[in-house]
Amino acid sequence: MDEPMADAPGPQVRVTFTTTEADLELPESKRQLLVPADIRRYGLSRVLNSESMLDTGSIPFDFLVNGSFLRTSLEDYLASNGFSFETNLTLQYVRSLIPPVFEASFEHDDWVSAVDVLSDTSPSGRWSGDSFQRGQDRILSASYDGLLRIWNASGQVLTTSPSGSHGGHTASIKAAKFLTNSQLASAGMDRTVRVWRYTETDQFSGDLKPTLELYGHAGSIDSLEVDGASKRLLTASADGAIGFWSTSKTSAPEADASLLPGAHASKRRKLTTSLTAAQRGPLSLMPIHSAPATAAVFDPRDRTVAYSASQDHTVRTIDLTTSTVVASLSTSHPLLSLCALPRAGSAPLLAAGTAARHITLVDPRASAATTSVMTLRGHANKVVSLSPAPDKEYSLVSGSHDSTCRIWDLRSVRPATKDEGGLGGVSEPVYVIERESSSKKKKTVAGEGCKVFGVVWDQGLGILSGGEDKRVQVNSGRNVLTE
Amino acid sequence: MQTDRSSKLSTPNATMGPKLTDKKRKSREPEPESDDELGNGLFDGVLSQSEDEEDYIPSDDEKEGEDEDEDDSGTEGTEGSEDEGEDEDDILSEDIPSDLDAEEEMDKLVKQGEELEITEPGVDPKPREDDSMEKNFRIEKDANGGERYVYDEIDAAYDSDDTDAQGPVNTIGDIPLSFYDSYPHIGYDINGKKIMRPATGDALQSLLDSIEVPKGWTGLTDVNTGNPLNITQEELEIVRRVQMGLLPDDLQDPYPDTVEYFTSIEEKMPLSSAPEPKRRFVPSKNEAKQIMKLVRAIREGRILPYKPPEEREREEQEEDEVHFDLWQNEEPQAPNPMHIPAPKLPPPGYDLSYNPPEEYLPANKEREAWENADPEDREKEYLPQKYIALRKVPAWGTLVKERFERCMDLYLAPRVRKNRLNIDPNSLLPKLPSPAELKPFPTVVQTIFRGHEGRVRSVAIDPTGVALATGGDDGTVRVWELLTGRQVWSIKLSSDEPVNTVRWRPAKDAFILAAAAGEDIFLMVPTHASVTPVLDQASRDVLAAGFGYATNGQGQTLPAGKEPPAKWARPGTKLEDEGVLIRITVRSTVKVINWHRKGDHFATVSPAGQRSSVAIHTLSKHLTQIPFRKLSGLAQTAAFHPLRPLFFVATQRTIRCYDLQKLELVKIVQPGAKWISSFDMHPGGDNLIVGSYDKRLLWHDLDLSNRPYKTMRFHSEAIRQVRYHKGGLPLFADASDDGSLQIFHGKVPNDQLENPTIVPVKMLKGHKVVNKLGVLDIDWHPREPWCVSGGADGTARLWM
Repeated sequence: MDEPMADAPGPQVRVTFTTTEADLELPESKRQLLVPADIRRYGLSRVLNSESMLDTGSIPFDFLVNGSFLRTSLEDYLASNGFSFETNLTLQYVRSLIPPVFEASFEHDDWVSAVDVLSDTSPSGRWSGDSFQRGQDRILSASYDGLLRIWNASGQVLTTSPSGSHGGHTASIKAAKFLTNSQLASAGMDRTVRVWRYTETDQFSGDLKPTLELYGHAGSIDSLEVDGASKRLLTASADGAIGFWSTSKTSAPEADASLLPGAHASKRRKLTTSLTAAQRGPLSLMPIHSAPATAAVFDPRDRTVAYSASQDHTVRTIDLTTSTVVASLSTSHPLLSLCALPRAGSAPLLAAGTAARHITLVDPRASAATTSVMTLRGHANKVVSLSPAPDKEYSLVSGSHDSTCRIWDLRSVRPATKDEGGLGGVSEPVYVIERESSSKKKKTVAGEGCKVFGVVWDQGLGILSGGEDKRVQVNSGRNVLTE
Repeated sequence: MQTDRSSKLSTPNATMGPKLTDKKRKSREPEPESDDELGNGLFDGVLSQSEDEEDYIPSDDEKEGEDEDEDDSGTEGTEGSEDEGEDEDDILSEDIPSDLDAEEEMDKLVKQGEELEITEPGVDPKPREDDSMEKNFRIEKDANGGERYVYDEIDAAYDSDDTDAQGPVNTIGDIPLSFYDSYPHIGYDINGKKIMRPATGDALQSLLDSIEVPKGWTGLTDVNTGNPLNITQEELEIVRRVQMGLLPDDLQDPYPDTVEYFTSIEEKMPLSSAPEPKRRFVPSKNEAKQIMKLVRAIREGRILPYKPPEEREREEQEEDEVHFDLWQNEEPQAPNPMHIPAPKLPPPGYDLSYNPPEEYLPANKEREAWENADPEDREKEYLPQKYIALRKVPAWGTLVKERFERCMDLYLAPRVRKNRLNIDPNSLLPKLPSPAELKPFPTVVQTIFRGHEGRVRSVAIDPTGVALATGGDDGTVRVWELLTGRQVWSIKLSSDEPVNTVRWRPAKDAFILAAAAGEDIFLMVPTHASVTPVLDQASRDVLAAGFGYATNGQGQTLPAGKEPPAKWARPGTKLEDEGVLIRITVRSTVKVINWHRKGDHFATVSPAGQRSSVAIHTLSKHLTQIPFRKLSGLAQTAAFHPLRPLFFVATQRTIRCYDLQKLELVKIVQPGAKWISSFDMHPGGDNLIVGSYDKRLLWHDLDLSNRPYKTMRFHSEAIRQVRYHKGGLPLFADASDDGSLQIFHGKVPNDQLENPTIVPVKMLKGHKVVNKLGVLDIDWHPREPWCVSGGADGTARLWM
């Protein structure tokens, strides 16, 4: 590798390389360097990889300058930010992001409302323990036609859940999650949470059997969160209640008879259901929101704490052992989705997708006042689904009705401008994943296009998203973000 | 008094006795003392006077008395008080004795005599007359021993205004002299002495006189003096001159013959033929010497021009004073900013030259055109002309006119510095908050609800804010999940009639939707999967309650032969299975449904139905009532007041407000629109927005006036629907046929005195205009700043 900085014509800039990654640290003497001003990310990356520097060969690097990624030449960056060439720039280098390349899409009969993944790196895989074998990655998709489908990684349907008349959901499913490799749960507009037993006969076929019907909500259930270890479910419903459920027949209390479908069967259209599943009620049902609750998540560290988001603009912290609201954080917009980003040694950072087209990051530790730590801006429509990046606490992917998924890196922050409220930091998406089905069409208005209803990010399988285009779209997720 | 004194003073002329009695008599005259005397008194007095006149003897004494009388009257003012006192004494002394007996009277008379001593003759009256010493007369004793008043000579120069009078002047005043014909005198001189009539000679004397004419005789008698009037020689000369028409006064010749100093006559034969000496023609050397002497003296200052001594003195003083030039160091300053110099005329160009270049000379055509044009229309006031030599240039013909016009320009054209109005036009605009501060409000379309074939005529969001109901031209009512745009329920109500309106029942205890298709109103429970059986059952119970009411026979009894205004019935099993539970058939097509806030009543409007156009339906009784027997105008829409028992009915031009309890007309709101399409009540109940087919949106403050508080004309086409946000946000929106919605911030302050703030914040475009129809209906989310619109393009859109 040549020395690009030697005898380079034109202006030069003094840069200091830093990194947070220990294995990639430069010796003290080599950190300062004079580089030509017109150098770009690629050039800088080659400089770092050169023998005289790290001698790593060809690791692509990205460079953070003052909290944002360097996307232009150094010259342009300096000019646009009003710095002189004498400025000593501190470049933090990180392993580069690889765009999430489209890999495959699985076609459905109706809109896909939720996706979940069973893999050795997914939570469900961990909860499965030893019974889960490597390579048996499964994809669960919930659809508006009321059916659950389980796919293998190559896009073959292993099994489909029974229809409403055979013990399945009688209406659209809005959420579905693997508990373990043999158990999964789903919830939907028919107000029920159903727990299924999944068995695989061989590599290419499986069987879904309903084991439990959980009644309790008076409205459509929009969100489902599972904890495979404690076999607990958490739901958020349009009636404003948060449900806390058990998946075991024995530990679940009896269901409220008035909510059961047979309660007024005489005056209703007869639903010929072969009742095979037991009907149970919630461990606790907390009507804590004044508007439809849209999401509820467990605290990643402490499974007795849950967070719920609602259209009444609040994020509430719930102590599940006592079923009481511990704290309530108000934001300025209706919240439609929630995910917890684990932080080492502290309460998680909560990312809440809003109806106002952005994602608000709130810190649940700060009790009284709303602590909107950061705002992620870029979506053109409601943000209805969020998934944290696997094993990375500074990244997440969001799905929105604007037919895109966006990947966010929380390390890239700029201060908010006055138009954006002026408080906290603002981050912009690192990558935008368009729907493959509609990428050729030019979108005119935000309401057009196919909405993304569910997105999940798995380390092995990548980023999976389901949407209005009746597909589950798979994008590679490995190395999308730097370590 | 006058008579008193005169008698008193005249005592020296008469004997004592009669004078006293005379005096007494006179003084008693005004006093009625006795009948006798009273009876004769008047005559006596008259007679005595006449006697006095008749007995008049022209004597010096008499004359003096008269004089004194006159003088007395002149000095009466100074003497009056004293005399009065005396008179009073007189009166007293004379009154009292008349009433007393004789002795007493005698005593009194004695006393009186003592008192009257002063007036008694022979007694020196000096002590009494001390004061009168200052007067202009003195009292002397005459030959008879009586007193005599001698007056000082009057100094005419002092007291008279006739100082030029030469001789004795008759002072009788302006009366004819004939008055004195019978007297020996003809008047009085300035001293009051009689001017005696000159003796008139007899005829002989006058004849003699006439023969021996003295110098200056005229034969006339001086009127004033009675002497023959003679004229002096000088006077005669004046008369002569007057007669000749000459100056009467100047005896000198005004035009004397000139005496020539040098002879003007050139003699033909002069005595000497010697020529005039040269010295007569050259300046005199001697004189020049003299003059030079003077000049030198003046130059050397020996001779000074004459000045009055004071001035000279002053000058000498001034020479000593030191003078300072106040302005010697003054720097030139810029002219006054208000000074505007007159504009200069442009300097003459080549075309004004006497010998201009050829290209400046006009062609024949140009010359003709210039000559034919009116002077006002000419571009230039002259034509360039060429002369071969400067001396051939004639005088400038219009010089005077031009100079005059230039002067008029300078004089009449006002040269005023224009004061630019330095106002930012933006500052004149009313201060409105910027839309960015009024967030949140809907800005973009977020969900598009596709499914209807044909227009979406009506949209409604349910009270919980989860479901959206739409009704369209395809005769279907659809229920959607609001956020995702997923259709969860659908029913086809009619195969040929469009669904004109869908409205959710406002209360949350049930889940009931009312829809109108044609003449039918359907009440339904759109039970999709998210509706719990309990809620579903509650809703069905609410709807079914009225059937029991009807079957119990408590319904209204109609007069025989009269058709009920509406028929409540079950729609049939096919629809009932889907959740449509009641069909109400009225007489004409229903266009508008509006629920009462409690959910038991709803009002429908069918504009085509004549007298039954407005109907109020009671859900719990399955009862339909027609509140208006007769309605003036075509009913357009009707609504219940959000808080009070009031009912609003909009006809084409007015909105009438009725009190439902008192059953009376409360108010007539006149928006001034030609054709009202819709209106909506503010949830506070005091404000109203009205949309009209003539493109206007009107805000009414019901407390303020019947006229609109604000009129907004922002749409290019008719406004179909207007709607307030009912969830506490200060927003309202209208939907127009131009395919756009306009979102307004309309804050109604709590303070009654403040005016509502109305700010247009956003225009939402997206609906396509199909057959000149754009957005047909609009509804707000019950909590969030989201709104849903239904358009003629077959879509409903959620804006947020």
